[in-house]
Amino acid sequence: MIEVKQIQKSFGKVQAVKDVSFVAQDGQITGILGPNGAGKTTTLRVIYTVLNPDGGSALVDGFDVRRDPQQVLRRIGALPDAHGLYPRLTARENIRYYGELHGMSGKALEDRIQSLAELLDMGEFIDRRTDGFSNGQRVKVSIGRALVHDPQNVLLDEPTNGLDVMSTRAMREFIRSLRDQGKCVLFSSHIMQEVSALCDRIVVISGGVVAANGTPDELRKATGKENLEDAFVAAIGSEEGLTK
Amino acid sequence: MKRVWIVFKKEVLDNLRDRRTLSSTIISAFFTPALLLGLIVVLGRTLNVNPDEKALRLPVSGGEYAPGLIDFLEQNNVEIVAAPADPAAAVKEGNEEVVLIIDPGYPEAFLAGEPAPVEIYLDNSRQSSSASIQRVRGLLQQDSGMLGMLRLQARGISPSLLSAISVGVRDVATPESQALIFLNMMPFLITLNLFAGGMNVIIDATAGERERGSLEPLFINPVKRWEFVIGKMSASLPFAFVTLGLVLLIFYIGFQIIPVEEYIGFSMSLDGRSLFNIFLLCIPEVLLAGALQMLVASFTRSFKEAQTYLGFLPLIIGLPSMFLTFMPVKSQMINMLVPTYGQSLLFNQILRGESVPVEYWVTVSLTTLALTVVLTVVAIYLYKREQVLFAKA
Repeated sequence: MIEVKQIQKSFGKVQAVKDVSFVAQDGQITGILGPNGAGKTTTLRVIYTVLNPDGGSALVDGFDVRRDPQQVLRRIGALPDAHGLYPRLTARENIRYYGELHGMSGKALEDRIQSLAELLDMGEFIDRRTDGFSNGQRVKVSIGRALVHDPQNVLLDEPTNGLDVMSTRAMREFIRSLRDQGKCVLFSSHIMQEVSALCDRIVVISGGVVAANGTPDELRKATGKENLEDAFVAAIGSEEGLTK
Repeated sequence: MKRVWIVFKKEVLDNLRDRRTLSSTIISAFFTPALLLGLIVVLGRTLNVNPDEKALRLPVSGGEYAPGLIDFLEQNNVEIVAAPADPAAAVKEGNEEVVLIIDPGYPEAFLAGEPAPVEIYLDNSRQSSSASIQRVRGLLQQDSGMLGMLRLQARGISPSLLSAISVGVRDVATPESQALIFLNMMPFLITLNLFAGGMNVIIDATAGERERGSLEPLFINPVKRWEFVIGKMSASLPFAFVTLGLVLLIFYIGFQIIPVEEYIGFSMSLDGRSLFNIFLLCIPEVLLAGALQMLVASFTRSFKEAQTYLGFLPLIIGLPSMFLTFMPVKSQMINMLVPTYGQSLLFNQILRGESVPVEYWVTVSLTTLALTVVLTVVAIYLYKREQVLFAKA
């Protein structure tokens, strides 16, 4: 479970996140939706501890990101916006490196990599060096290494960016399967259809604040719009920056 | 600690597969000894050919005005030839090393007992002519002095009155210490190599990670920043030590194969023991180089930027040792408090075949290690900042 409480974060004079609070429950897919520059990535970065919030806090399974970053990191797997691989290592070696950093080793680690390879359909390229991989293959390896330690909380920053239709579909299936295993899945997107197709709960962020928060039905009710897209626009207050 | 090892292992494997790292290791290892031995072969010959053995070819114009001087020159192994029409141009273009012009007023002044005018054309900026120039000047002075003395004696005055001081020169330079101009370059070259060996590994593990976008996901692992810094830094060490070892080994082999004696006229020894001692002295310096590179790399945004900054580091650090090439200093305890400079002084001493006091060795190694620890702590602090992900220093 991830609890975000009134976090704030500025970069110089730019206040990227002004006041964001929400809760992402286990066994649910929580989507953070918002236009580009709304503060989605900054919020996720605070949760996975690479940024310190200026104010407020975030808890992962009850551990504070500022006080117990190591505990938080053990309980999350994240696919950040930038997810470069090591081109001179094979896909398997890339994943193994992260597994070892999580304290895994030996047969347990190798078995886990093998099952991830099957789950993410990486069999064909698992032992190839990642130099020259397609976007879809890269994302698969990145997800594999992020989930190698089987974390309870999964954070995905725009996971379908740059993926083709087939890969996007597979990604959605995969996200649903994580939810069905009882994981807490938090993912950000600026694509409305994707959020509406996947999410149990939606947090709409705009200009660094939460504009709306609830299930798709709740959102429709709160804004009085039948169509989810219109509901988003109503919640944000403008059509600016919201891509279809 | 286990995670330091994991990071180390991964970086070493990754860089072993990198052609850029391997080729830079090997090329730099070969480059330095090749440069130095090349200099010995090329410069050794020009600087050390004994000029007195050959007749000096001297273009002279107006020889007919001073037959006595011409006789004197010819007796001193000078081959007199006709001067070119434009002596200044001939010297400037390097066609002649030095040209002697005897003024038509020479006989008249000579007979009157006044200084008789002659001119020599020379180009002081031309190193290779310096021996010929000195020889011509010396011979002219010798002739002038001799004639002056004869004149004084003819007037009943003792010529020794003219010399208020009698200067005796004893040159204690042995052939070996002359050869040290070449060996004096070694401390600087070794410093360069110390930095070159591990540089690519550090860049790849820092700015390279950032450029590939693999740093952010890496930091989402339950690993403390100091573990990353130490792991990545230590991954550069095997590469640095192998480079350094190769350089010293190639030096050793080069000095065995190339007949150095033939080129510079005397033997120059560089035995295995000296080289091994140099390697040992280098160990703390290699650690220092790693820490410094790690620190500087934390500010760089891209591979190229890191290469630029880290490439300058050895030049700045090596500056004092470069001065040593031209003005060797006797080592003192106080110098041992300055990391890298202290080592360079000791390299020099080892190469001269002098013994190195153990306390010097210990002091310079300890100060170097102390500085390494300080730099590492600063580097860890820098990698803890969140800006390190975005490198907006």
